[in-house]
Amino acid sequence: MSLSRSPSPRPGGGWASPGLSSPYGSGSGSLTPQTSYRGNGNSNSVTWESAKAKSEGLNGYPSFSTQNSGFFNRHYRKISSNLPRFNLGSEKSYAEKEKLGRGRWSPRDGSKLARIKSLIRRVGRKMKLRVVIVLALFLMIILFYMTPLHYYWRRSRHLGGGRKYVIILAANQGGGVMEWKGPREWAIERDSVRNKRKYVNRWGYDLEIVDMSTKKRYAHEWRESWEKVDTIRNCMRKFPDAEWFWWMDLNTFIMEPSYSLQTHIFNNLAGNTYRDINEYNPLNITHPFPSDHLDAESLSPVGDGKTESINLIVPQDCSGFNLGSFFVKRSAWTDRLLDVWWDPVGYEQKHMEWEHKEQDALEFLYINQPWIRPHTAFIPQRKINSFPPGACSDNGNDSRIHYNEKDRDFVVNMAGCEWGRDCWGEMYNYRELSNYLNRTWWERFKEDLVAVVWFKITGKKVRL
Amino acid sequence: MHLALPARKSTHPPPYAPRTRRFPMLRRSRVQAIVIGLCVLSAVLFLISHLGGSDGVPSGTPPVVIVTVLDQDNYSKAYIDNIKENRIEYARKHGYTTFFPSNTDYDLAGAPSSWARVPALRHALTKFPHSTFFWFLDQNSLIMNPALTIEGHVMNPIESLMIKDQPIVPPDSVIKTFSHLKAHQVDLVLSQDRDGLAHGSFIVRRGEWSKFFLDTWFDPLYRSYNFQKADAHALEHIVQWHPTILSKLVLIPQRIINAYSPGGPAEESGMYHDGDFVIRFAGCDQGGGRDCIKEADPFSKQWRTVFHSQR
Repeated sequence: MSLSRSPSPRPGGGWASPGLSSPYGSGSGSLTPQTSYRGNGNSNSVTWESAKAKSEGLNGYPSFSTQNSGFFNRHYRKISSNLPRFNLGSEKSYAEKEKLGRGRWSPRDGSKLARIKSLIRRVGRKMKLRVVIVLALFLMIILFYMTPLHYYWRRSRHLGGGRKYVIILAANQGGGVMEWKGPREWAIERDSVRNKRKYVNRWGYDLEIVDMSTKKRYAHEWRESWEKVDTIRNCMRKFPDAEWFWWMDLNTFIMEPSYSLQTHIFNNLAGNTYRDINEYNPLNITHPFPSDHLDAESLSPVGDGKTESINLIVPQDCSGFNLGSFFVKRSAWTDRLLDVWWDPVGYEQKHMEWEHKEQDALEFLYINQPWIRPHTAFIPQRKINSFPPGACSDNGNDSRIHYNEKDRDFVVNMAGCEWGRDCWGEMYNYRELSNYLNRTWWERFKEDLVAVVWFKITGKKVRL
Repeated sequence: MHLALPARKSTHPPPYAPRTRRFPMLRRSRVQAIVIGLCVLSAVLFLISHLGGSDGVPSGTPPVVIVTVLDQDNYSKAYIDNIKENRIEYARKHGYTTFFPSNTDYDLAGAPSSWARVPALRHALTKFPHSTFFWFLDQNSLIMNPALTIEGHVMNPIESLMIKDQPIVPPDSVIKTFSHLKAHQVDLVLSQDRDGLAHGSFIVRRGEWSKFFLDTWFDPLYRSYNFQKADAHALEHIVQWHPTILSKLVLIPQRIINAYSPGGPAEESGMYHDGDFVIRFAGCDQGGGRDCIKEADPFSKQWRTVFHSQR
C-alpha cells in the first residue's frame, strides 16, 4: 500500500500495517488496485526503500512531472471548498490528506445532522444572528398563544389587567317557577353561557353565573327583581381583586369576542362615555339638577369631569336607562347606591307605577338625588347593548339603538324578546352571524374561494 | 467567510477624535447632573403639591359652621335676633362661622317646614366648602357654655362618648348602633331623647358621604310619605334601613349637645343643668300650653352674663 493513504478510519484509508497484511489481497478494503509510484505495485509492505523511493518519486521527474500538476490537482483545494460534493471517491492526494485531518468536509457519508452542522457553519455570523432572532420570535409567539401563558398574562393585574373585570350573567331567570322552562329556554341559556364563558376565557376575566330563580326570600318580600342589587354586592365580596362589574342579562350575545373591554371601553373611558345626559335624553330629565343650593360639582353637567369619578356606566335605549348590560365599579359610592336602591317607603308608594322595577327606581334616584349624577356616566347604547330590529321598533331603525353588522357592534341584547318575539330564533341567528363575521382566514379561504370555484366548476355546492 | 485583512484605515483621518455620542448634552458627567437635577425638581414639586397647599384649604377657613334655620314668620324679630346673637357670639369666640337660612328659602314641595334643615345643611356644605364640621342647631335653643368647643367637647373624645350597641329607637329596636367605630369613621353625631333620634342638634362631617346622606334624607318619597314626625321619622327610617348610613352614625349622651329644658321629651339624664353646653326648648312649638319665647327668656339673660363673664 502506498503512503499516499491518509490515516483515516474510512475504508481504503489509513496506514497499512505490515503485520496485518493478508496474503489474499490488498490490505485496504479497496477493490480496485491502487496505482503506485515507481511500479512496485501491489506491495503491501511499507519498507524503507519504498518510502524513500516514493519521496524521491516526488522530485524524480523535474522537467515534466505528471503528478500533482494537472488542473484538478493544482486547484483541488480551491474547488473543493466551493464544491464539496466533487471531492468524492477514494482517490487521494497529499492535499486531500491535509484537509481530511482537519475534518473540514466529510463528504457523502456524513449524517443528516452533520450536514446541517456544516450548513450552519457555512452561514455567516450576521445571517445566523438574524435567523436566530426570527426563530426566537416565532418560538415565543407559539409559546405565548399555544400555551395558557397568554391567559395568565391577560389576567394578571399589572400586565393584562383581566382580573379587574367580572361579568355577572343572570341565568335561570325565574328558574321555571313562574313559567314552563322548555328546550328552547334551555338552549338559550346554554348558548348564552357558552358565549360569555368563551369570551371570559379569552381575555382572562371572571364570570359569575347567577341563579336568578324566583326565591321565596324575595317573593314574599315585595322585592322581586331587586336581586340584582344583592347579586352585585355578593360578587364584590366574591372577587376582591375586581374593579368593574359588568351585568349582563341572559338574552345578550357578545358578537365580537375579539374586542377586549380594555380596548373597547376602559382605555378611553372619557371618550367612550358621556356624562351630560342632555346629549341623549329620552326621559327629558332636567340636567344639571334644578336647585341652586347645591355645590358646584353637583351642578356641573359633567361632575368633576375626571374619569376616576365614574362609578356607574349605563346605556340608554329609546325609553330611558337600560339595565340589560351595564357596568358598576367597586367604590364607596357604589356601596351607597346599592344600599339605597331599594327602599320600602319608596317601594310602597311606587310599586304599581314602576313597571321596570329596579330600572325605574334607578331613574327615580338619578332624577331626585343630586349625589348620584356626578358619578354616573352614560355610554352610547350600541357600544355594549345593541338592540335587534324587534326592540324599540316604534320609530323604525335607529342608528343609535339597533345592531348593524357592518359596524361590528360588540354586544346584542335581545331585550323584550320574551314578550311576543322568538328569543331562541334571535339568539340562534345572532350566534351564526357572529361565527360568520369572525371566521378565521383559513375558513374564509375555504368558503369564499375554494367552495365558490368548486361550485363554478362542478355545479355542486360543498361544505368544507 | 471572514476577511483576511482588517479594513483599511482612511488615509485622511479626521482632525479631532470622533464624538462617541450624537448628543453632546448626554455626556456622562452631564447625565449625572441632569438626573440629580430632575430628582430634586420632582421632590420639590412633590413637596409643594402635598405640603404647601395642605389640601388646598385657604387660611382663615372656619373649622365649624353653625347652621340654624330661622322661622321669621312665626316668631318676633327680637327673639330671632337674640337667637342669632347667641350663635354669632359663640362662633366669634372660637373662630367658627354661622349660617342662618330661612325656612322658606327652599322648595319643599309641600312638605312640613321642618324639612328645611336638610337642604339648609346641603347649602352650608356648598357655601363653606372647606370647613370640617357642620353643626345643625335648631332655632329654639341656646348655647349656654361658650367655653366648650365642638372639637374639644364632642369630636375629639368621640370614642369615649359614643354609646355602643344602643337601639336606634329607644325601647327595643332591633337595629343598634355599631360597637367598633373609630373616630375617623364617624360622619354623623346624633343624640337620642325619649322619643327616638333627636335631630334638633347634630353634627355632620363634610365629605362625599354627607352629600349622600342629606340627599337621601331629602328624597321626595320620604317627604310625601306623611311620616308622623316628618323629617325626624324619615331620619329614623333611613338609619335603620340603610347600613351605609348606620355605619357612620354615632350616638352620644343627650346632654353633651342637646340638653332639654323642663317639659321637653327627655329622661332625667337629658335635662338641662347649669354648665351644660346647649339648652333646647324641644317641643315648645308643638302647642300644649308652651311658649318658646317665654321659656327662652330667663336663659337669654343667663347666656349673656355667662358669655360676658368669660370674656
